[in-house]
Amino acid sequence: MMAYVNIVVLATKQLLRHRVRSLLTVLGVASGMFLFTSVESLQRSLGRATELSAADTTLVVYRENRFCPSTSRLPEHYAEEIRRIPGVREAVPVKIVVNNCGASLDVITFRGVPEDQLRRFAPDIEVIAGSEEAWREQDDAALLGEVFARRRGLNPGDRFDAAGITVSVAGIIRSPFAQDNNVAYVKLPFLQRASKTGLGVVTQFNVRVGASKDLKPVAAAIDARFKTDQVPTNTRPEKAFFAEIAAELIELIGFTRWLGVGAVLAVTALVGNALLLVVRGRVKENAVLRTLGWPARAIGALVISEGGILSLIGGVLGVGLAAGFLRWQSFTLGNEGLTLAVAPDATVVAGGIAAALVLGVLASLWPAWQAMSRPIVKNLRD
Amino acid sequence: MSAEMMIQCRGISKCYRKGSQTVTPLEKLDLEVPRGEFLALMGPSGSGKTTLLNLLSGIDNPTDGSLIIAGTELAKLGRRALTKWRARHVGYIFQLYHLVPVLTAFENVELPLLLSPMSRRDRHQRVSAALELVGLGDRMHHTPSELSGGQEQRVAIARALVADPDLLVADEPTGDLDREAASKILDLLRQLSRQHGKTIVMVTHDPRAAEAADRTLQLEKGILLNQTRS
Repeated sequence: MMAYVNIVVLATKQLLRHRVRSLLTVLGVASGMFLFTSVESLQRSLGRATELSAADTTLVVYRENRFCPSTSRLPEHYAEEIRRIPGVREAVPVKIVVNNCGASLDVITFRGVPEDQLRRFAPDIEVIAGSEEAWREQDDAALLGEVFARRRGLNPGDRFDAAGITVSVAGIIRSPFAQDNNVAYVKLPFLQRASKTGLGVVTQFNVRVGASKDLKPVAAAIDARFKTDQVPTNTRPEKAFFAEIAAELIELIGFTRWLGVGAVLAVTALVGNALLLVVRGRVKENAVLRTLGWPARAIGALVISEGGILSLIGGVLGVGLAAGFLRWQSFTLGNEGLTLAVAPDATVVAGGIAAALVLGVLASLWPAWQAMSRPIVKNLRD
Repeated sequence: MSAEMMIQCRGISKCYRKGSQTVTPLEKLDLEVPRGEFLALMGPSGSGKTTLLNLLSGIDNPTDGSLIIAGTELAKLGRRALTKWRARHVGYIFQLYHLVPVLTAFENVELPLLLSPMSRRDRHQRVSAALELVGLGDRMHHTPSELSGGQEQRVAIARALVADPDLLVADEPTGDLDREAASKILDLLRQLSRQHGKTIVMVTHDPRAAEAADRTLQLEKGILLNQTRS
């Protein structure tokens, strides 16, 4: 064990004392792992946003055959009838206005909710600047998600205009849910008037049921209730809607998987090539070590240690930078009023670093074999 | 009663293929070296001196014959056992020192001990002692580029000595040094043989270097010709 520790220490000295070469390799690995982490974050964020879990108890009721929030017009009074359906705990009418209905990196979404139902619709929001009272007092007031406010540089007291709606910023909110951090909450009547759809018309109902197992039967009951009404509905779990709406995003993000594969291959090739050059430059040095009584496997371990250390440092750097960058920039992808926040989680970070280490070790195997297998005398002579 | 033999070569030959030709650098060579002797091997280039040194140090295998060093028949050792044997019994000194350029003198000398089950403290004591013995106690933390050729060769000697081997093999250890530095290296080797009982086999082209040895053997075309005693 002590021998392997000494080998790792020697490998570290070799790397530290060949600074330029080591730095270039680490930067190359970091670049590859930055890309890999970004792609993985995108993939996992989409997975989290579209995969149903036992904790999901929210249904969204839209107008049937909607394309965009602007084409989903439902009578607000449906809320009362939905609340009477068995299994429903809460139904909140919501008006959505977006500046761009297609897939976009910069979507501005207004959510209009009844003043007294804001806390029922979004119970987890926390006002971090301004106040909820100011929002209640002023008709055109908006509570902005912190990511949205940061992206636009908005603070309490500012006014801004988007999608034909002009609002005053009453406060900035923070929420554990990415969706809330990327929208502007306004009062429902204000948004109905400002968007010119008229009072009494909403985009959707957010319906909370008692348990995850109630999602399907309640959705079926809601759609059955309005099937013959003037505006038939289409009710599905929130994430299922996202999955449907995000089809374009899924296609786009599916492509990025190849970028991730490319990044992984690039890291492997880079480390492999760097170590192959190291081994070729150290033919005599390794032969001398073997003459001194180092077994071939110790030479191999030295090469693999160097590959592992380079990849680990590059991995930590690349994954850390990507995670920090994505958090700092709060990247979002929007489509039809729904927002996908690209946020790295602990699994992506740990997986990225572990992947870098494994790739480094794998990439070192061939150079290590080269260093181990040539006869000592031939290497000394060369 | 005869002296204890450190090296016993019986009819050893070495052949290898070079293109379509078979080269035989050593042919049916017999050699005995008593423990503690300082032996010089002389001969023209291609006479098989370095090949013999490689066989004695266990980094190459004879094609034929028997080679017993420090009581061990090398042919009977497997690859791993031979590596362990080499680490324990042989110190190799190269003409061009072959120090690791990015490591300090101390770290270079430490290399043979890194894989041994020895505490860091003991290891450091042995490395310091080896460097003191070769007169480089004040140059431990210098890299090879900060040392003269003679000092580099003394670091290489300390590296060969640090595991306390019975046998030191030196391939033209003074071949790349000026006369003064060469003389100091030869004095050091003689001291190691006389005062520390090391058996030394040194290959050299230089008759003055050979004079430092107890005995000189001439090798030509893979065959031992005659011997001279100092």
